[in-house]
Amino acid sequence: MAVKVQRGQTFSEYWEFRRSRRARKLNRSRAGNALLFGLMVICGVFMVLPLVMIVNNALKPPEEIFRFPPQIFVRNPTHENFTDLFVLMSNSWVPFSRYILNTLIISGCGTAGHVLCASLAAYPLTKHRFPGAKLLFSMVILSMMFSWTVTQIPNYMIISALGINNTYLAMILPSWSYGLGLYLMKQFMEQIPDSLIESARLDGAGELGVFWRIIMPNVKPAWLTLAIFQFQVLWSNTGSLFLRDEELKPLQYAMQQIAAGGAARAGAAAAVAFVLAAIPITFFLVCQSSILETMTTSGLKE
Amino acid sequence: MKRNRMLTLPRKRALTGFLFVLPFTAGFLLFYVNSIVTTVRMSLSEVTVGVAEGVRGMSMQWNDFFNYIRAFSQHATFKQDLTSSLLNMLIDLPLIIFFSLFMALFLNQKFRGRTVARAIFFLPVILGAPAISEAINMARALMVGGISPASAEVMASLGAGTTIDVGYYLYMLGNLAVPPVLINYIIGAVARINNVITASGVQIVIFVAALQSIAPALYEVAKIEGATSYETFWKITFPMVSPLIVTNVVYTIVDSFAKSQIVTLSYDTIFTDYNYGLGAVFSLVSSVAVCLILLMVGWLLSRRTFYHI
Repeated sequence: MAVKVQRGQTFSEYWEFRRSRRARKLNRSRAGNALLFGLMVICGVFMVLPLVMIVNNALKPPEEIFRFPPQIFVRNPTHENFTDLFVLMSNSWVPFSRYILNTLIISGCGTAGHVLCASLAAYPLTKHRFPGAKLLFSMVILSMMFSWTVTQIPNYMIISALGINNTYLAMILPSWSYGLGLYLMKQFMEQIPDSLIESARLDGAGELGVFWRIIMPNVKPAWLTLAIFQFQVLWSNTGSLFLRDEELKPLQYAMQQIAAGGAARAGAAAAVAFVLAAIPITFFLVCQSSILETMTTSGLKE
Repeated sequence: MKRNRMLTLPRKRALTGFLFVLPFTAGFLLFYVNSIVTTVRMSLSEVTVGVAEGVRGMSMQWNDFFNYIRAFSQHATFKQDLTSSLLNMLIDLPLIIFFSLFMALFLNQKFRGRTVARAIFFLPVILGAPAISEAINMARALMVGGISPASAEVMASLGAGTTIDVGYYLYMLGNLAVPPVLINYIIGAVARINNVITASGVQIVIFVAALQSIAPALYEVAKIEGATSYETFWKITFPMVSPLIVTNVVYTIVDSFAKSQIVTLSYDTIFTDYNYGLGAVFSLVSSVAVCLILLMVGWLLSRRTFYHI
């Protein structure tokens, strides 16, 4: 693209020339576009299919659930499965809404606390150099490499030594200091220019002010990502390790119990699967749209 | 407050920094470092759990690295499982990174109907979540009604006319002197496409967040200077997201390790065979191996990473 401006050529002529060249060279052909579009549609269909399946299953009457060969789309949609579910659960020991509430408390508190703790810790780690920062960070990385499914015994010992066994806290507190959040927040905060922080300090902002008014708005995509991630992790937790009382158990556990009921409970199970999938998806969609709408302007004129 | 005034400014800053880090660090040391230390101790000793000779709970007896010797010289599948999980991880890594970067670039563009496209192509983020995948599995199990052999038959009869003769293409590629390693890699990649898609959810979000935080002024400048979109990608977009490529590599390694065979093996050893010491060894050795891989990959990437500060 090395086109020299020739003498006597006006700038607009030159620009026109370049534009025409570019137009010829870089536009894709129509067939290419169609091909790409087709590929994307195929990929998209595969991604949507499981969710379509969940929604349709939840609406199927029993004879359609067990129809063979199986069909994805529902013929005669009913809300029978949901009423079945509520009847089933209202006869049970703990009402269904209690399971939903438990899951919401655990996921909500866990996610909020995690995002806050991780970003609070990530700010000084990135922007101040204080003794022990490097050690802490490498320990966090190391901890991320560790498989936590295997450490259930030590975890249980710690939780029961703290006396928070069989409470919500047993689920919430450990999630606050999970290593991945710190790592993610630190990586994003490194992108914020130091001069932005300095200028805030010159304007008289304290450390907390800098953190809350400068850092957090600038890394909004990061902490929304983290929130999505942590919410899903907590949402999927059955809590069978720490929560013994039936009133404290989350929705995921309830679903396993219902699904274990076999064919008689198939409709109710499909309805639970729908509820279980719908809430994190809604949460995700809300967060995702605001990730994409953040327009970060660096706030600097240099 | 009065005492604070006696401190010098740097010390005061250090103190504030310390206060900020405190909640995270306290929890981290308490819940995570503590567990790692216990696991290391377990790996080095003969562990008995339950009530035995006046022991309540758990007792550990030092046993001269016996667990390590057993793991490396006696256990039937440990070394195989370890190598295969690490290899799988290394194969998936570039695929996931490329796929997620590509998806993020696609989703970050402005085109007609992009709200729908975004909603659809963000789905891997959700599909990867354990709760959802469990719900999907259940839906699938309901649909085939637990009679999977029959449904497999149906699938076979449906697909009979449309299957592509893969062997023929492989033969052709082999004749074209494409090295077998490459062919195997491509076959592996195609076979894994579902894994790659479901495993690249968070990475896509991270990349999109990164693309969002690139200052629009940079693109404006490039446009004024007459850069083509190809040049803009390599000179602006790629360098600006490169720190987060490292992040994503780390995340991918962590994530695929958490789902790998070796973790299942150590879990089974501990909770099915009740061999706590041996299971601890498995998980420690594999963690160290993953750390080494991460150090290597990180070192390779960090030389090409661009930090815009």
